[in-house]
Amino acid sequence: MDNRGPRAGEPVVIAKGVTKTYGRTRALTGVDLEVRAGEVLGLVGHNGAGKSTLMRVLAGLEACDEGAVLVHGNEVSGAAGPRAENFRAVRMAYQETSLCPDLTVAENIWVSSRHCLPRLGWRRAASDAVRRRLDEMFPGHGVTPRDRVEDLSLAQRQMVEITRASLVDRLDLLILDEPTESLGPDAARSLYDYVRTLTAAGTAVLLISHRIREVLSVADRVAVLRDGAVTAERFAEGLGEQDVLELMGAHVAVPSDRERTAARAAGDGADRPVVAELRGATGPGLREVSLRVGAGEVVGLAGLAGQGQQEVLERLWRPVRRDTTVVGTRAYVPGDRQRSGVLPLWSVAENLIVTAMRGLARQGLRRPAEERAAVGDWVERLAIRGGADAGITELSGGNQQKVIVARAFASTAELVLLDDPFRGVDVHTKTDLYGLIRQEAAQGRSVVWYSSENAEMAHCDRVYVFRAGRVVAELVGEEISEERIIAVSFAESESDGEQSNE
Amino acid sequence: MSELLASALPSRARMRRTAPAVVSAVALAAMVAVCASLQSDVLSVGGLTLVLSATVPLVIAAQAQMTLMSVGDIDLGIGTFVGLVTVVSATTLVTSPLLGVLTLAGLIAAYAVLGALIHLRRVPSLIATLGASFVWLGLGLFILPTPGGSTPEWLASFGSWAPAGFPAPLLPILVVSLVVYLLSSRSGLGVRMRGLGSNPVALERAGMRPLASRVIAYTMAGALGVLSGLVLASQTGGGDVSSATSYQLMTVAAVILGGGSFFGGSAVPWGVAIGGVTLGLVSVVLSLLDVPSNMQSAVQGVIVLAVLAGRVVVGKVLR
Repeated sequence: MDNRGPRAGEPVVIAKGVTKTYGRTRALTGVDLEVRAGEVLGLVGHNGAGKSTLMRVLAGLEACDEGAVLVHGNEVSGAAGPRAENFRAVRMAYQETSLCPDLTVAENIWVSSRHCLPRLGWRRAASDAVRRRLDEMFPGHGVTPRDRVEDLSLAQRQMVEITRASLVDRLDLLILDEPTESLGPDAARSLYDYVRTLTAAGTAVLLISHRIREVLSVADRVAVLRDGAVTAERFAEGLGEQDVLELMGAHVAVPSDRERTAARAAGDGADRPVVAELRGATGPGLREVSLRVGAGEVVGLAGLAGQGQQEVLERLWRPVRRDTTVVGTRAYVPGDRQRSGVLPLWSVAENLIVTAMRGLARQGLRRPAEERAAVGDWVERLAIRGGADAGITELSGGNQQKVIVARAFASTAELVLLDDPFRGVDVHTKTDLYGLIRQEAAQGRSVVWYSSENAEMAHCDRVYVFRAGRVVAELVGEEISEERIIAVSFAESESDGEQSNE
Repeated sequence: MSELLASALPSRARMRRTAPAVVSAVALAAMVAVCASLQSDVLSVGGLTLVLSATVPLVIAAQAQMTLMSVGDIDLGIGTFVGLVTVVSATTLVTSPLLGVLTLAGLIAAYAVLGALIHLRRVPSLIATLGASFVWLGLGLFILPTPGGSTPEWLASFGSWAPAGFPAPLLPILVVSLVVYLLSSRSGLGVRMRGLGSNPVALERAGMRPLASRVIAYTMAGALGVLSGLVLASQTGGGDVSSATSYQLMTVAAVILGGGSFFGGSAVPWGVAIGGVTLGLVSVVLSLLDVPSNMQSAVQGVIVLAVLAGRVVVGKVLR
């Protein structure tokens, strides 16, 4: 611990003006970053700041559009991929793991580290190596090399993934992407102990985490990523959680309890009839979640991606458990329109009317005239280009999204569930759809809206911010702002210590 | 004490994985018992040879199917492919052995190309192999329009080989299963193939080419298909392109009975051997039971469904 602090090592990996564009979204807008030998560099940023894209570029999995990535001072074209000799000493442990569930632990090690294993007897060599490294990194891990990955617990899989990344004959840079997300506190502690032995031997470690306290306690330097660029780089020494949150653009002031109750009395719609309610819902991905949706209310689910928001939508869509009450009918707008949204062979009209069809039908027979009128109405209202008869796949992404949202609102459903539907949609379409949501709410429909874009939450009456499957804040009316949401979705509460002890 | 017991017993996960093969094995034992009670000669060496011989080409073809299912694909052309091999071995292989061997090698290469096309063009394997099955059928009819021909001497003598101590068909079943086990479960090649069926993204991140894995799997399946065809020809003594069309789906059933999955990632060569023999024995049992031959297919289907249902029940209990 004593030797922590600024150390001028030789740069291992350098990113210079790196940009990356996916379709219409600019994931990276010019990143300059330097990772030096023997240091732990913490990288923080909110949803969509470009963390994962930057990691993929640094690990050599993807080429950057402009700029350059230098490994040991040599410029390497990312297009060559991880097969390139240059990236062999750069290893990454993925958050969602990159293990094959049907293979054993030892076989997974062979897949990723086969150039360091003998051709004959690799199984034994891999088993020995992984057992030794696991013992070193995570004492008491309970994993044997013959176990299949699918039979391991989430925490054990994470351990194997980190071990897999670290097992190579020469390791210059180890990238850890949210390594402690599913680890218990003991395992996290022993991981960071091991990280320190690694850096003492001259390896660089890039740590990505949204647990800011953890980053500050481990890292030598902290880089803040915002809107696809590094906006700040600081030494971790003397830096506090609040400072980092401010660098990320969070508004930290916590309103007093009195303010909060005042706001609640004014605008949380306690007088409205309840359409849907969760009472202390607990289950996979959810812990003690209580929330309420009133008639004509737009309720937002915010926070970092994958903290339980989609599980809440799932509960509301299929209210089978006793802790969930939903009155009336529901409609669901999926986020992944390609996979679960459009019916690609159908026209716009058919795609739009498919849910409303039953409501319009009389005695089980469709009524084409009414359907046409309803379709025409929606096409006009949302200005869907191409008209009712165009094939859905001829439309642009934004217009397809309009059709899918219109489909939900064209039905008679009293509760509309939105699963991050506006990702990658252009600004004009978004504005149209925000307007639509407010109009429909004014007419008494309720909307539950999960979004990974915090700015969108401003259109909600009430916002629940999620973290590790819990509601950590309920924001009402004036309280809802991007800065507040960032602040509460990162701030670590006391209950965090026991959060992922499985 | 209970801890000691727990460590001695196989883990629950392992039991769950071997359960389907165990269920098939129980069904197999039951069928052998039924056969033996009806006709006690079945348990003699000669009887077992007779009963088992028909299952050998099926088991080998099922190993080919299992190889492709381990990468997540399904082969609907294996039946006619085996049929085409019997045709080649009853014609070209007799008249000009060198050309025959080259033709068979060419067929294996065709399987490799098929795998590459499926991967590069992202065609569902179901469609591509179904299309290929018509090609195999057409080629077979072109070479030998009506069933007939005769197999080379060495092949015929293999077919009639009858050692004294043990039933001859057992040997090819065990040898092929062992080779497939070594390749698919113990070697790096097998890890590549199962990795592709399990998580292609991880494979790519590790710098392996999924295309290579798929081509390896198809080559192996093609080789096993050729072997299956040769064995079938040695038994029938002639070529018939439609002699093995029932393998198309029987092989899939054998893999599922043996504990394989449609989603890829697992290789169960021993399970497939048990599943294949079980399926092959069903028709023997039905003949011995004097089930009318026009009812046999239906009864066979019901028995397969019953074994599969047993697999599902055992899987639920062990979960």
